[in-house]
Amino acid sequence: MKTRYVAVRLKIPDNQAYTALVVLQRLGIALGQVERSEIYEREEEAGGAAELARRTMRDESVFNPNKHTLAVLEQNVPRTGEVWIEECDTPRAPNRPRYIGWRLFLTDGTPADRATIEAATTRLLCNPAIERAIM
Amino acid sequence: MNRRIAVLVFPGTNSEGETLRLLRDLGADAQLVHWSRPQELAAYGAYVLPGGFAYEDRIRAGAIAAHDHLMDAVIDGCAKGKLVLGICNGAQILLEAGLVPGTAAARRPTAAFTHNAPQPHFICRHVYVKLASAPMRSAITASLDEGALIPAWAAHAQGRLAAGPEHLAELVEGAHVAFVYAHPDGRVDEQAVPNGSALGCAGLVNREGNVLALMPHPERDAWNVNHLQRRVGEALFAPSGGAVLFESFVRAVQRA
Repeated sequence: MKTRYVAVRLKIPDNQAYTALVVLQRLGIALGQVERSEIYEREEEAGGAAELARRTMRDESVFNPNKHTLAVLEQNVPRTGEVWIEECDTPRAPNRPRYIGWRLFLTDGTPADRATIEAATTRLLCNPAIERAIM
Repeated sequence: MNRRIAVLVFPGTNSEGETLRLLRDLGADAQLVHWSRPQELAAYGAYVLPGGFAYEDRIRAGAIAAHDHLMDAVIDGCAKGKLVLGICNGAQILLEAGLVPGTAAARRPTAAFTHNAPQPHFICRHVYVKLASAPMRSAITASLDEGALIPAWAAHAQGRLAAGPEHLAELVEGAHVAFVYAHPDGRVDEQAVPNGSALGCAGLVNREGNVLALMPHPERDAWNVNHLQRRVGEALFAPSGGAVLFESFVRAVQRA
């Protein structure tokens, strides 16, 4: 078995991501789009990524086909333009995501550079007293 | 000093009604100020941030509200020595805004009221909070008795104080812990803490003592009608135990 990360994201309008975008823009960070994903840690069994995706999509506490889209990540690290936020000592509960992924895009649609991600993380997305950011 | 008190209303605030009523019952000149009218805040001498779920707790409890234009005025007023009281979600906002404990720059939080432990569930429970610092440590608590015991309702999913070890030490050394959870007889131990809060903390005060953040709701145990042991034969809106903190706050505003 191999540990894989699965990103579940709303395909309907995401009010939380939009609020983050508006506040970050107000803070002077030039972004055009923000995507928010819940990143789940899962074990890949026989059948590979496709079977893992099917299995996760059957879990109704995590995935609603009318609302969500799902991706099994190629690598267990944030994607380009993304930061993962982990709560440091919050007790784990079943079906809570391991990380919240914030994927930031510049006004021209390209993924945000590291300096922009760091600014957004420091100023809004992460409270270092209780959270850890992974870029 | 201006004695008018503004009760701030963000989208999602839900305790402004009882907060405003209690302040007025205690003789304060208090008004609601909504998020769309931040320019009005400068005209007030003190601020109360009531409970609720400002901006739906998006990102983190209090994180978006801490960047609201209303908070620009609160941060400015805090620096000028205005009194600020935050209850529940108001307390979370004050921590996210860095006003409490106030040991770093504004909007650079060093602590948070976060998910309860051991289970990260919402709790709704009657509690007692005990004044853990000297009454004169904060102008807001100056009229309370030493070790005052105040009844309140804890109603939160994110009320556990958490911070890194160095910041927790800073809270202790700076006497920032204003209130701890206690039993009805005033004893303080781990069993009295409903949410796993570090230091048994229910409320924090900033370095200067003009900003107080309290997680439970004393305003929900402020009249006979909503007291756990209602006194038969007394008026429904006779003051109850939770009113004393607000009374002390109003006195401080009137003294300032």
